Amino acid sequence: MKTVERIDQRSTEIINGYKVRPGKPLPFGASLIQNGINFSIYSSAGTSCTLVLFEKSQDLPLVEIPIPENYKIGDVYSLIVFDINSEEIEYGYRIDGPNNPTAGHRFNKAEILMDPYARLISGRDEWGKKPNWERPYPYRAGVPFDDFDWQEDRPLEIDPADLIIYELHVRGFTKSESSGVTHPGTYAGLVEKIPYLKQLGVNAVELMPIFEFDEFENSRIHPNTNEQLYNYWGYSTLGFFAPKAAFASTGKFGMQVDEFKQLVKSLHAAGIEVILDVVFNHTAEGNENGPTLSFKGLDNKTYYMLTPEGYYFNFSGTGNTLNCNNPVVRSLVLDCLRYWAAEYHIDGFRFDLASILGRDPWGAPLSNPPLLETLAFDPILSSCKLIAEAWDAGGLYQVGTFPAFGRWGEWNGKYRDCARKFLKGDQGQTGEMAQRVQGSPDLYKQSGRSPATSVNFITCHDGFTLSDLVSFNEKHNEANGEGNNDGNNDNLSWNCGAEGWSDNPNILKLRQKQMMNAMALLLTSRGIPMIVMGDEVGRSQHGNNNAYCLDSSISWLDWRLFDSNQILHDFTKALIHFRLKHPALRVNSFENKHTYSIDLPGCSFHGTNPWNPNWDENSKQLAWMMTSEPETINKEADVVYVAANMAHYASWYELPEAPKSYQWMLNFNTGDSNCQHLIYGCKLEQKGLLVGERSITIITASKINL
Amino acid sequence: MELSKSTIKGWQIIEVTGQVDSKTIGDLRDYLDENIKGDLPVALELSEVPFMSSAGLRTILILFRKTQDMNVKLCLVGLNEEIAETMKVTGFYQYFTNYSNIAEIPEENK
Repeated sequence: MKTVERIDQRSTEIINGYKVRPGKPLPFGASLIQNGINFSIYSSAGTSCTLVLFEKSQDLPLVEIPIPENYKIGDVYSLIVFDINSEEIEYGYRIDGPNNPTAGHRFNKAEILMDPYARLISGRDEWGKKPNWERPYPYRAGVPFDDFDWQEDRPLEIDPADLIIYELHVRGFTKSESSGVTHPGTYAGLVEKIPYLKQLGVNAVELMPIFEFDEFENSRIHPNTNEQLYNYWGYSTLGFFAPKAAFASTGKFGMQVDEFKQLVKSLHAAGIEVILDVVFNHTAEGNENGPTLSFKGLDNKTYYMLTPEGYYFNFSGTGNTLNCNNPVVRSLVLDCLRYWAAEYHIDGFRFDLASILGRDPWGAPLSNPPLLETLAFDPILSSCKLIAEAWDAGGLYQVGTFPAFGRWGEWNGKYRDCARKFLKGDQGQTGEMAQRVQGSPDLYKQSGRSPATSVNFITCHDGFTLSDLVSFNEKHNEANGEGNNDGNNDNLSWNCGAEGWSDNPNILKLRQKQMMNAMALLLTSRGIPMIVMGDEVGRSQHGNNNAYCLDSSISWLDWRLFDSNQILHDFTKALIHFRLKHPALRVNSFENKHTYSIDLPGCSFHGTNPWNPNWDENSKQLAWMMTSEPETINKEADVVYVAANMAHYASWYELPEAPKSYQWMLNFNTGDSNCQHLIYGCKLEQKGLLVGERSITIITASKINL
Repeated sequence: MELSKSTIKGWQIIEVTGQVDSKTIGDLRDYLDENIKGDLPVALELSEVPFMSSAGLRTILILFRKTQDMNVKLCLVGLNEEIAETMKVTGFYQYFTNYSNIAEIPEENK
């Protein structure tokens, strides 16, 4: 069949030797069309706009095309350039306009600006490769193909209550030589480790920032060690629509888009969802002393929260704050998330310092933030997980009160704090711990939310690793070159008797037990558990609780730990699979429905005596029992009883009576250093059991085979 | 880019020499459209291709879809290691049957 030729496939004029015609304002960014590329860019206060085209890798522009005034609709300049090779072209813009910072304007026609909608960014294509600092326009927008062959793949839409999240840094996960992968530190390297994640049993990975960032931002040499320090974590976005090139083994060929999509497709094929850690609270342009890369020169007043004097509000702690509740910025955020969900099949997003997203343009918290509402009800994002880090660096702390619109989950910082205190045997924790293990109804029930609102974690990338949590009382951040002044001082950690490295077997044994206790607590709590990369094998950062700048063995996962800490790994893996097998632990309701088939409540608390929890200040013994009805007619009701003894002495726990025709089976006991996990379970003949000091046991009720 | 064709062991062999990227894919595409016949399986001989860009990889994936529509077999021959690795990590490799050289291609009896 012959296709009909479209009128807009033909140019209307030639500017500086290039065939062009007025473009389409939507979509924003650069889009491939038949015979050419459609460019569209917004600037409300700019007075003129010039498209600057570069031949790939050339320092000087190939051509500059002033966009005629009649090509502008509203505040959007758009044009189509014909007969240019998308694979060989990089582009930017010059915008003219007032340079009056007090009025919020910082236009400078001398600067070449990156498109905020750039979907491919070059300039930092290979990690750590020294850039040419003199290069004008260092980060360049490109135009990727968007025709990846997904075959039958689509987002997995796993029920949030069933998720077990594994937080990881793409580079750190496989960069160590010990990983043994062909492409260390890349998306492709992560693909090679999918079988590991699958056997561990996690069903979601939360990737620390993969939006393009510059690892050289604020890079420096450590004054004492001469080590090169980087922007390793990457919480400083250059482009919201582009995957980080240097995380791709093919970044040097500009193929990061395909490589990242292949990662998502491969994870999905293994039943693992992909959640992105996204940073919309600030950009890499810093404050008034920072560089002009994109937003500052395009429409400073629109994109940033400014003081009346034109300075940058700093609710992010990093110099500037993106003006998320300006309607234009709101659209950018929405377009961005829709793009990642639709084009990359992303399953969910975790929003860094998300409370900023609920502030008005002057910084005041909004009661009904339009951005959060828009995201909650968007049709393309309707099955995406939306998870807030419900606080910001400006003092807004919204755990339990984050405007959720029935959709948003939260990193539950209160779970982390309470679990840490409970684990180290602090006084007065049993009451709050009871709230935390049932999904924090004290925070979420009244507003109609469910346990899976709560992402439960004890450790995350930010702070001590689990191994360090039980090995250090104080942070040891000297490697960051800031005189140990960075990072949190209030870690709620306990070193078990010696600060840091120790060869005392009793201390080592206690540390291992405490790590197992933490995993047991986390994985038997209702809500969504999140584990940070390497905690399952006791990864240490040598007491560094803020390794944001360390691209070294301190941050990387050492895969040899799988041999040296196999017991912890096997224990964690068994617990993860245990959780997946036991629906009682994943009930996603605060209704506490009675389980009639066995006549037990859905969730109940106990002490050393059944049905009699001790909420006293000095109580360190708590047990909880979770139940659910049989999933099908022939299956058993599910009953899980967990006895936690965080006292420094053993305690006898009398068990509740097992349901009729059921018997108690011991499955896990962190207090038994010879056998913490009983693969087939061990029948409990007595009416109770001795729970060792600082130990957790997990017991199930199984139907007696008559 | 140089292109040539021959028939060996019942396969239409299309031999490509030179880089396959956005500057050359037009020629390759036209040549394939003109020369591929629907009655014999197709082997794309790539041992003299030092690099394939994103556009190049797409061209051979489109060829895969076209041959699929024609119900004709397609294989790649002599991919260099770096291109093969790039194809693996970007998801293109899985679609193709690969042989190291022409000698490895099985006799095709129509």
